[in-house]
Amino acid sequence: MYIGKDSKVVVQGITGNQGRFHTQLMLEYGTNVVAGVTPKKGGQEVLGVPVFNTVQEAVKERGVDTSIIFVPARFTYGAVMESLDAGVNMTCIITEGVPVFDMVRLVEAAKVKGLNLIGPNTPGMLIPDKIKLGIMPGDMAHFGDVAVIAKSGTLSYEITKAIGNANIGVSAYIGIGGDPVRGKTLVEAFDYYVQDQGTNVIVLIGEIGSDDEEKVAEYIKDNDVKKSVVAYIAGKSAPEGKRMGHAGAIISGNVGTAQGKIDALKAVGAKVTETPWEIPEAVKTFL
Amino acid sequence: MCEEFFSRKIGEYGVEAILIEGLADIKHEYYCSIALDSSGRRFVLIASAEGGIDIEEVAATRPEAIVKENISLTEGLSEVVAKGVAERLGFSGDDLDSATDLFLKLWRIATEKEAQLVEINPLVLTPSGVVAVDGKMTLDDNAAFRQELVVELRKRKLTELEKTAQRVGFSFVELDGEIGILANGAGLTMALLDVLAQHGLEGMNFLDVGGGASKERVYEALKLIYTMKPKAVLINIYGGITRCDVVAEAILQTMKEFPDAPPMVIRLTGTREAEGVAILKDAGVDAYQDMMDAVGKLKEVMA
Repeated sequence: MYIGKDSKVVVQGITGNQGRFHTQLMLEYGTNVVAGVTPKKGGQEVLGVPVFNTVQEAVKERGVDTSIIFVPARFTYGAVMESLDAGVNMTCIITEGVPVFDMVRLVEAAKVKGLNLIGPNTPGMLIPDKIKLGIMPGDMAHFGDVAVIAKSGTLSYEITKAIGNANIGVSAYIGIGGDPVRGKTLVEAFDYYVQDQGTNVIVLIGEIGSDDEEKVAEYIKDNDVKKSVVAYIAGKSAPEGKRMGHAGAIISGNVGTAQGKIDALKAVGAKVTETPWEIPEAVKTFL
Repeated sequence: MCEEFFSRKIGEYGVEAILIEGLADIKHEYYCSIALDSSGRRFVLIASAEGGIDIEEVAATRPEAIVKENISLTEGLSEVVAKGVAERLGFSGDDLDSATDLFLKLWRIATEKEAQLVEINPLVLTPSGVVAVDGKMTLDDNAAFRQELVVELRKRKLTELEKTAQRVGFSFVELDGEIGILANGAGLTMALLDVLAQHGLEGMNFLDVGGGASKERVYEALKLIYTMKPKAVLINIYGGITRCDVVAEAILQTMKEFPDAPPMVIRLTGTREAEGVAILKDAGVDAYQDMMDAVGKLKEVMA
């Protein structure tokens, strides 16, 4: 697992509004938030969590292995680099609006160090009843064996909640974020849950733009994936050349159309639903 | 002829100026670009001795005719790699040096301006050397805080309504339908437009009011939708950080100020749903919790 019940979490940007608010929600969920970091504010406490000046100190004093980032976009590069330099295994970047060049540099650095990034512009990760590392509603679903991997936030909340309401348990929820360059690609997250013993069905929530869903279809074919896959792709009615909210959600030329993705996934045996609300029924046929 | 040019639109931009150049005596056409490989999460130098303006077709039918070199942002594009690509395209002598130099310049522009694409197509060989005949760049909106060019260009491509939306802080795109849309979450809003299309209904806009929307932001969004004169308005809110009671108050405020507004169908669920629904109910306004129920009601309204 990227993260688990025992993950020791540091919140970077814990003294800001968002950082503080979501630290509280994560603590209420039972997430093991052991430290916060805000430069020059070391020595304080936020909600009983000790604040340090650097991630390095948080690692040394509290044994941190996981970070969640709530700092503004222009400081995100520095904050994530600090987390990587301190050897933190998983860094989850919630921040929206991080420049592409910063992300490419960070992904390069993470690869060299063998560490994990997720996001930016992601709701984060949730293992129901165990750990919430992110800003998603905690009560969407209970623990089970269906993994949900999504590019978008609110739509994936809607679908995950519908899955929970249908009394289907979720092994993990992971948002990879809607930006063009991501710490974890759709294929990497997919590969992870194909390997995961606790996951029997994978739900993929995609959208127009880039070729991530097509790459997942290739992966399914090349690796002869036996696990059942249910997918929904948003943006069928989106016009070409217009950016639909997410920085990555834009159709240019023939690349990244909803139909192209749907066809590619269907061709390798995935069940692709017409609407988000048909997903729970589709998942049930595999349980 | 100039008049005709000025009335054209190139992509999302109007024509502002015309550059007149001497006729190029084309011996051969090439393609070259520095592009972001999004799923590979790296930059790539792409070049081909075939294609020119037909590069998409070459890529589809003869991928082996396209040269690709991955570039690490830490190490940059080296002269050796740039020269190697130029050689593989068949350049020699002085042309080899100028093509190499051109690739290095492309890389410099890409990194200086934080471009996701810097493309020259076609690059042509003439008796007097290598000439770039047409070019294109795609910049990164997220880098606006340190790239002035991004701010400048963004101003020029947005419609007036899109500019207003940007100022208030929500994501907005004009579409061709008759139904005004106010929703939250980019993915959910796209899914909503898709579901409407399946029912033969078309949105007039894409509007993601954003996470944690304030009463004022929702009010401004609704006002903006009204200026487009929709036949009906559909509100779809799944509150996470966004609070349903705040949305409900904004709806009532606009209803008071715009008594002649078009019929509104509301779906409200999530954070503080009970409070939001109660606020509307007290004012005699219904709100659905299930999105398909709201779509059904909208169909009745539009019939």
